[in-house]
Amino acid sequence: MNDRIIFEDVSKFYGEILGVNRVNLSIPPGITSLVGPNGSGKTTLMNLMTGLVRPSRGQIQVLGYKTDDPEHLFRILGYSTQFDAFPKGLTGFQFIYSYLRLAGRDAQSAEQLAWRAIEHVNLTDAATRNIAGYSKGMRQRIRLAQALSHDPKVLVLDEPLNGLDPLARSEMIALFRAAAAQGCYVILSSHILHEVDVISDQVILLSNGYVVAEGPIRSVRSEIQEHPTQILIRCDKPRELAAKMFEDEHTIEVAIHKDGRGLLLKTRDADQFYLTLNQIALNGIEIESVVPADDDVLSVYGYLIGNEEVVR
Amino acid sequence: MSVWWPQIKAVIRLELKKTFLAKRGLWIYLVAALPVLLFIAYAVATSSQQNRSANVARRNEKPLTYQDLLAVKTGMAREEVVAILGKPSLNFHWVENRPMGPQTTLNIHHEEYRYSDGQNDLYVNMIDGKVEAIDINQGYNLGQDSIVFAGVFQFFFLRLAVFFGCLGIFMNLFRGEILDRSLHFCFLAPIRREVLTAGKFLAGLLATCAIFVTSILLQTIAFVWHFPPSARDLYLYHNHGLEHAAVYVGVTVLACVGYGAFFLVAGMLFRNPILPAAAILIWESVNPFLPAVLKQFSVIYYLKSLCPVDIPSPPGTPALLALLISNPDPVSVPTAVMGVVIVALVALYISSVQVRRMEINYTSE
Repeated sequence: MNDRIIFEDVSKFYGEILGVNRVNLSIPPGITSLVGPNGSGKTTLMNLMTGLVRPSRGQIQVLGYKTDDPEHLFRILGYSTQFDAFPKGLTGFQFIYSYLRLAGRDAQSAEQLAWRAIEHVNLTDAATRNIAGYSKGMRQRIRLAQALSHDPKVLVLDEPLNGLDPLARSEMIALFRAAAAQGCYVILSSHILHEVDVISDQVILLSNGYVVAEGPIRSVRSEIQEHPTQILIRCDKPRELAAKMFEDEHTIEVAIHKDGRGLLLKTRDADQFYLTLNQIALNGIEIESVVPADDDVLSVYGYLIGNEEVVR
Repeated sequence: MSVWWPQIKAVIRLELKKTFLAKRGLWIYLVAALPVLLFIAYAVATSSQQNRSANVARRNEKPLTYQDLLAVKTGMAREEVVAILGKPSLNFHWVENRPMGPQTTLNIHHEEYRYSDGQNDLYVNMIDGKVEAIDINQGYNLGQDSIVFAGVFQFFFLRLAVFFGCLGIFMNLFRGEILDRSLHFCFLAPIRREVLTAGKFLAGLLATCAIFVTSILLQTIAFVWHFPPSARDLYLYHNHGLEHAAVYVGVTVLACVGYGAFFLVAGMLFRNPILPAAAILIWESVNPFLPAVLKQFSVIYYLKSLCPVDIPSPPGTPALLALLISNPDPVSVPTAVMGVVIVALVALYISSVQVRRMEINYTSE
């Protein structure tokens, strides 16, 4: 398939150390987040995807291009790595301009693209200063600008929000969304799960080099059978509703909300729950809202991986 | 393929800026400047000596030629010397009281006469009015000086300055970026890694050629500077001086090509430059003692054959040292040039294979 990023039975070992093992993925357009603790294989997966490391086993194709074909691959792919180092002696503008020239662009188009990318990340004022004098956030943004500068179809971003202030974070998230809305493939890794939850169309959960789940977050959640689904119900008669819900054999636990205007319910069968709730609603209890309480990345991450190194 | 050349030019621009302005490369300029400083110092000393000789010649009783100076022989009487050369413009004399026994001394009269024809100085030492020793100090000797130049070129410039300069520049093309953790930017550009390697090699070649060709040209200028204009013209235009200078430039360029390719591949294969540098230096040094087949895999083997001036071994030189100095089995010029080019191409081929295998894993470096 030429419209996906495909990993076929990919493993990577650094000597005897496992990077990732037996990874099979098919990544569609949109924003895909790689989530996992340190050492889980997120960066290895990104480096494999961009040919910076070669798989010990298996095959990778990015929209039909092999990762050992940089001449074609990097015309459609931009990668902002976590390496916080730059070629010495270059200003922000020179940095982006030089690598656009390296890509074969003529001077005029390289200059135009470089300035446009710099404007995208709001670094215009600092563009003529040496990168060595940039703050961490500015270095992060100039890396993003470089990855974005040639309008790639696939954008791979390793911890792209690290070091950014809240305003810059929201600007970058808007940028990623805009790219995804235009049909781009945005692959990013992050420790900040609530941001991942907000921006991701799908997630890939990694642990110890293995992919433990992948797909849209709600479908991932629905596949986790051993953890009952939690649902927050807002209603005018929570105690009556709780009593009726206990009649459903799939209900495991019901707790009245602290404010007394709703209840938190755990059920083994969400579909059966919604059917039961519909009947109850017809019998005089006014239901204000029904919200799944644990189908976010944070909960899924907690269920599948544990809570180590999670930033909430 | 049409995009390769603009890409190579972009690599060269990036690399040249780093190479010429890198603080860690300053020692290369120093190494390249050393022989220039040596020849400048020699030229200054020789010029100063020539001025002194001219002063002495001006004060001679009569104008002298080199043949006049050669006419003085040991055993001649003071009067004979004065008859040939006139009264000396400089003379020194002293009496030595040599003890001959208890309370007995012998007075020995020493004299030193100094003459000059304006270029060459004659020192005549006399004891008790008879010439005991003569010493002619030649102002310049083109033949001797060009052998000295050839010796400095072969044994310092080629084998040490260009060798270590290439090591410093070419090994850093990849290794330096790995240490700076910035190589991934090149690997993330839409450029074939072989093209990247070619660009880096050409950048290194331009840098080393600029530095070392400038050095050899300055050495040549410093070398001929102190000759009188007539001798300089004679050397440059009638005694192959210009031709030799052009050959030295060509050999320097070929040395940069050969050693550059060696060190480019070494920079990819080894983390520590000392080991490959030592290995290659030893290999190049023992080249005269290697079997004919192995000799061909060396850069110096071909470069020696291209050098325009043979360095003769002084009489009595030990056989091993003589073998090191001389070039007993020179190859023809086309073979030598092709040899360096082929050795370089083999090294570049290995580089291009190696660069395709390279992974970015800075933590293991």
